[in-house]
Amino acid sequence: MEKLSISILLTISLLPFLCSSFSPESPTDRRILVLLDDFSFKSSHSIFFNSLKSRGFDLDFKLADDPKLALQRYGQYLYDGLVLFSPSVERFGGALDLAAVLDFVDSGHDLIVAADASASDLIKSIATECGVDFDEDPSAMVIDHKKYAVSEIEGDHTLIAADDLIQSDVILGKTKIEAPVLFKGIAHSINVANGLALKVLSASPSAYSANPNSKLSSPPSLTGSAISLVSVMQARNNARIMITGSLDIFSNRFFTSSVQNAESKIKYDKSGNEQFVTELSKWIFHERGHLKAVNVRHHKVGEADEPAMYRIKDDLDFSVEIYEWSGKSWEPYVADDVQVQFYMMSPYVLKTLSTDQKGLYHASFKVPDVYGVFQFKVEYQRLGYTSLSLSKQIPVRPFRHNEYERFITTAFPYYGASFATMAGFFIFSFVYLYNK
Amino acid sequence: MRSLTPQTTLSSIARMARSLGGFLVLLVAVLICSASVVSAASIFQPISDSHRSAALELFAPLDASFGSLEETYEALRTFEVLGIDKKPDISLPACQSVLETLGSSSSASKDLFYALKVNGMLKCEINKEVFEGIVSKLQAAVSSANSLLDFYHSIGSLVLIKNQTSKDDLHLGDAEGIFHSIKALSQSDGRWRYSNNNPESSTLAAGLALEALAGVVSLSSSEIDQSLIATTKNDILKLFDSIDKYDDGAFYFDEKLVDAHEHQGPLSTTSSVVRGLTAFADVTLGSLNLPGDKIVGLAKFFLGIGVPGDAKDLFNQVDSLACLESNRFSIPLILSLPATVLSLTKKDTLKVKVNTVLGSNAPPLTVKLVHVLGSGSKDTSIIENQELKFEPESAEYFLDALPKSVDVGKYIFIFETVLHDPEHNKVYAMGGQTQVPIFFTGVIKVENPEIKVLDSDLGIVETKMKLDLDGENLVSLSANHLQKLHLSFHLTTPLGHAFKPHQAFLKLRHETSVEHIFLVGNSEKKFEIILDFLGLVEKFFYLSGKYDIQLTVGDAVMENSFLSAIGSIELDLPEPPEKAPRPPPQPVEPYSRYGPKAEITHIFRAPDKRPPKELSLAFLGLTLLPFVGFLIGLLRLGVNLKNFPSSSVPAIFAILFHFGIAAVLFLYVLFWLKLDLFTTLKAIGFLGAFLMFVGHRILSHLASTSAKLKSA
Repeated sequence: MEKLSISILLTISLLPFLCSSFSPESPTDRRILVLLDDFSFKSSHSIFFNSLKSRGFDLDFKLADDPKLALQRYGQYLYDGLVLFSPSVERFGGALDLAAVLDFVDSGHDLIVAADASASDLIKSIATECGVDFDEDPSAMVIDHKKYAVSEIEGDHTLIAADDLIQSDVILGKTKIEAPVLFKGIAHSINVANGLALKVLSASPSAYSANPNSKLSSPPSLTGSAISLVSVMQARNNARIMITGSLDIFSNRFFTSSVQNAESKIKYDKSGNEQFVTELSKWIFHERGHLKAVNVRHHKVGEADEPAMYRIKDDLDFSVEIYEWSGKSWEPYVADDVQVQFYMMSPYVLKTLSTDQKGLYHASFKVPDVYGVFQFKVEYQRLGYTSLSLSKQIPVRPFRHNEYERFITTAFPYYGASFATMAGFFIFSFVYLYNK
Repeated sequence: MRSLTPQTTLSSIARMARSLGGFLVLLVAVLICSASVVSAASIFQPISDSHRSAALELFAPLDASFGSLEETYEALRTFEVLGIDKKPDISLPACQSVLETLGSSSSASKDLFYALKVNGMLKCEINKEVFEGIVSKLQAAVSSANSLLDFYHSIGSLVLIKNQTSKDDLHLGDAEGIFHSIKALSQSDGRWRYSNNNPESSTLAAGLALEALAGVVSLSSSEIDQSLIATTKNDILKLFDSIDKYDDGAFYFDEKLVDAHEHQGPLSTTSSVVRGLTAFADVTLGSLNLPGDKIVGLAKFFLGIGVPGDAKDLFNQVDSLACLESNRFSIPLILSLPATVLSLTKKDTLKVKVNTVLGSNAPPLTVKLVHVLGSGSKDTSIIENQELKFEPESAEYFLDALPKSVDVGKYIFIFETVLHDPEHNKVYAMGGQTQVPIFFTGVIKVENPEIKVLDSDLGIVETKMKLDLDGENLVSLSANHLQKLHLSFHLTTPLGHAFKPHQAFLKLRHETSVEHIFLVGNSEKKFEIILDFLGLVEKFFYLSGKYDIQLTVGDAVMENSFLSAIGSIELDLPEPPEKAPRPPPQPVEPYSRYGPKAEITHIFRAPDKRPPKELSLAFLGLTLLPFVGFLIGLLRLGVNLKNFPSSSVPAIFAILFHFGIAAVLFLYVLFWLKLDLFTTLKAIGFLGAFLMFVGHRILSHLASTSAKLKSA
C-alpha cells in the first residue's frame, strides 16, 4: 500500500516534466505532431521532415481527420509543437478543434500552418486567430508577372521566385539566402492591429492576388508588398507561429528545383527554399532567438554583497547574464543594445549595458537623489528574439543625519566668533576673580 | 539539380484521397474544375536523372549494408531498373545475411522470400543442399498455409528458387488445390481478403493474390484449368471497374476502407496491383483485354508522383514502372513536351517527345496535331490535323512552322499518336488524345501613353503630358476635386491585334501610404481610365497632398510586363466634414518597433550656492579681532593676579575650578569636532558637579577674604 502511494506520488510529481512548452530548464527532446491530409506528404516533403528529425525532434504523423487525435491527455500536453500540413481539412478528427489549437498556442506551444489553394475555412480561421487574414476569394492565387520563376512548363506566373525577405539574422540565420524562394499558393496579409506578427517573405510590388483564369472585374483586395507569402507571429508567451499560403514551399520538388527570377539573369541550381524553411523552422521551434536572463546582480561600487537598500547618490554596479538557446546548449548572447532601467513610476536612469562578449552585461551608475522604492528593469524586445522582462525591487533612502557635510568653510566666521568668545570668557574669569 | 516538372503534385493526390467524404468532395471538385479549365491535362515526364540522384540519396547504406533484406532488395531493384552503375557495393554483407537467413531453420517465410530476392540480384554462392532444405520446408508451408501472406511469401520463394537454380522438376504437389484455396479468398468485386478470419477485403491483397496465383501457375506440373484462369481474368476486370481517376487522366487503386492504422496509401496499393497484374499476365496465355487508357493512366499516376522522398515510395514507383515497361498486355507510351511556354520573339519551336515510362524511345510512330484551340475563341481551331516532323537525333517531334495566325496567348494543343506498325497496337497503349495547354509569349507594344487633367464639366484639357514608361521622366501634376485625371495607352500584340492583359492597375499612393487601386478598362486597343475626383473624395478620405502614381501592366504571355512610376499628382481636396471616414491605420515597419531606447541620465539637484572660501576666511579673521582687542585692552589696563589665593588649599581649588572651566570649553570644542549630544551631556554632567563643588569652595573662599578685608 505504501509502495503504491509512493509510486503515485512520484508519477504525479514527474507529470509536469513529461511534456510542456519550451522551457529553459529542459528544452530538448521535443515532440511535434504533424497533421497531414494524406500520408503521401511524408514522402513528398521528406527533406523537410528529415531535417527536423535530424535536429532531434520526434515527429508524430497523423491524418488530420484521425478520430483519435488529441493534443492533451489528463490536462498535460502530449506535444510541444504542431505542424498543420492539412490545408483542406474542414474538421479535425478526435478532440481537436479550433479552440484546442488556440489553447495549445496559448499555453506557449509552437505552430506551423501551411495552406494552399484548397485551404478550408478551418485553416483560414486558425490563421485569422493568429492575426493573419487569407484572401477571401477561394480561387485567388498570388500572381506576379515580373518576379515569377522562369519555367518552361508553368506559364501562368503563379510560381513565384520571391526574394523580399525580412532583414533579421535571428529569424533567417546568419547565412544570407542568395537564391529566391519558390512560392505557389495563396496570399495573406497581416492584420494592421496586430503588432506581434511579421512578414518574413513578402511579395514584390507587382504581385497581386487573383484568380489567374478569369478576368478581373474589380481591383484585387491584396496587391503589392502588402501581400505576405510567409508570416510569423511570436505571441506574448513566446509561442511562435508560422503561417504560409503555400504548402509546396516545404516540398522536395521546390527544395531541389533550380530557380531563376524572370528579372535577373542569374540561374541558381537550387532554390532558396530549403535554407529558408530550415532556418525558419529553427526559429519557430526555438532553436534560435530564445533568450534567458540569469544572475541579476547589483551592488555598491567596491563591495561584493547585494545591499538591502541604497542611499541616494550611491554608486552602484548592475550586472545580468543573458544566454541564447542554440538547439543544443545555452550560448552566451552578444549584443550591444541591452538596456537597464532604474525605475520608479518612470525610468530615472536608462543605461545601455556593456558586454564582455561572454554573456555578462554590466553597467554602473549613480543612484538618483530621489528616495523611494525603485526597480531595476531589463525590458529587452528585439525583432525575432523572445522578450526579456525582468525587474528587481530595491528601496532608496535619503542621507542619515550624520551623512551630511561637516566643517563648511562658509560657517567658519560663526565658529570663530563662538570660540573667541569662549576663550575671552576663560581669560575674563581670571581677571574678574583675581585682579586687585 | 532537378528541374521543375509539371506533375500532379502530391498535394493534389492528397486532395483527392481525402475527398471521399461529404462536402469536401464538392469543394475539391469545384476547385479542380476551375483549375481544369486551362490545365485540361498535365504533362507527365518519364523517369529522368533526378530519379537516379534521388535513388542514390535515399538508398544510402549505413556501414555498407541496409537495415533488412527487404530494404536491400528494394535498393538493388531500384538501382537495377534505373540503370545506376555507381551503386554502393553492398554485396558482401548482403550475401552474408542472405546465407544466414537461408541457412537458419527458424527463418520466417517472409525473410526467406526477401533473402531469395536479394540472392536473385547478387548471385551469392549458395549450396544446393541449402536450397533442398528450404524447398521442402516451403512446400510444407504452402500446403499448410491459410493466410494470403503465407501463400504469397512461400509460393514467391519457390518461384525464385526455381528461377535461381534452374531446377525444372520443382513443382507444387497440388497446384490446382492451392489455386482454389487462394481463389477462395477473393471477393465478388475483384478484391481479396487476407485470410478467412478477416472479413475485410483489400485491393492491395488482390495484387498479392495475383502474384501468388501467377506463381502457382508457373510452378504447376500440369496445365491449370483454363476456366480458373478465365475467372481470375474476370476478377481483374472487376478490379479495374473500381479504379479511381484524377482529372489529369491518371488512374490509381486505393483501399476502399480507410483504416488509418494499416492504411497503405494509393501508391503501394496501385503498385501491388500492377506487380500482380504483370506477373499474372506473364504466365498466362491470351490477352487480358485491359483498356489501354487505364494502363496509360496507371503509368501517369506513377509518373505524376514526381520524385518521392521516401525510399519505399521510390521503390514502389520505379518497380511498378519497370513492370509496366516490360509487361505482356500493353506497354504505355507517354507523350511529353519539354517546354509548354514558347516565346514568339525567340521563335521557339514546339517539340514533342514520345517515350516509354522509363524514358526509352518509342517505336516508330507519327505525332499528329489534331486541334489547336485558342483560349478566347473555344470553338474555332487554328490548325487541324497537322503531322509533326521527326528528328531522329534527339528523337523529338517538332512543328516546323507555326501558322501565321498564332499570336501571343494561351492555346490548347491536342495531340494524337499513330503507330506505324499496326502490330504494335497490340503491344503498346497510347491513351488516346493528349491535351496540352501551351503559352505563346511575346513582346507587347505599348503606344501613346498620355496623362491629362481635365476640367470637370466641359472636359477642357488643363494639362496634357506624354508619359515615359521607363520611369525616367516623372510627371508632376496638380488637380483639385472638381477636375478629372485621364490616363490612356494602347496595347497591341506582335500581330497587331488588341491585347487585354490580366493585370492593368493604376495605383495612387498618398504620402501617408494610403493606397488606392483602380483597374484600367479598355475598349479595343485603347486602355483608359478617368478618375473623377469629385466622386472619389470620400474614398480618398479627404486626404489632400501628393499622390504617387504607379501603373502596372502584366500578363502571363506578356514578356515585357512592367511596373512603372509615372510621377505624382498634387491633389487639393476639400476639408473633411465631421463624420467623414478616417483613413485605415497603416502597417508599421517592424524594424522601427524594436531597437534600443534613448538613454536617460538622472539630473541631480544642484548644490546650494556658497561664497568663496577667501571671503569666509576673511570674516573669520574679523570675528577674531574683538578677542585680540580684548587682550590688548586688558594689558593696557594693567591687570594683575594679586588676588590669587596664597594658601595652598584654596589655590588648589582655584586651579581645579579653572581647569574645570577649561575642560567644559574643551568639551564644547570636542562636541563640535566629533562627539554627539549624549556623550557631551554625560560628560558635562560630571564636569558640572565637579565645577559646582570646586567653584563653591573657591568662590566662598574669595568672598570670605573680601568680607574680612571690608570689615578690617
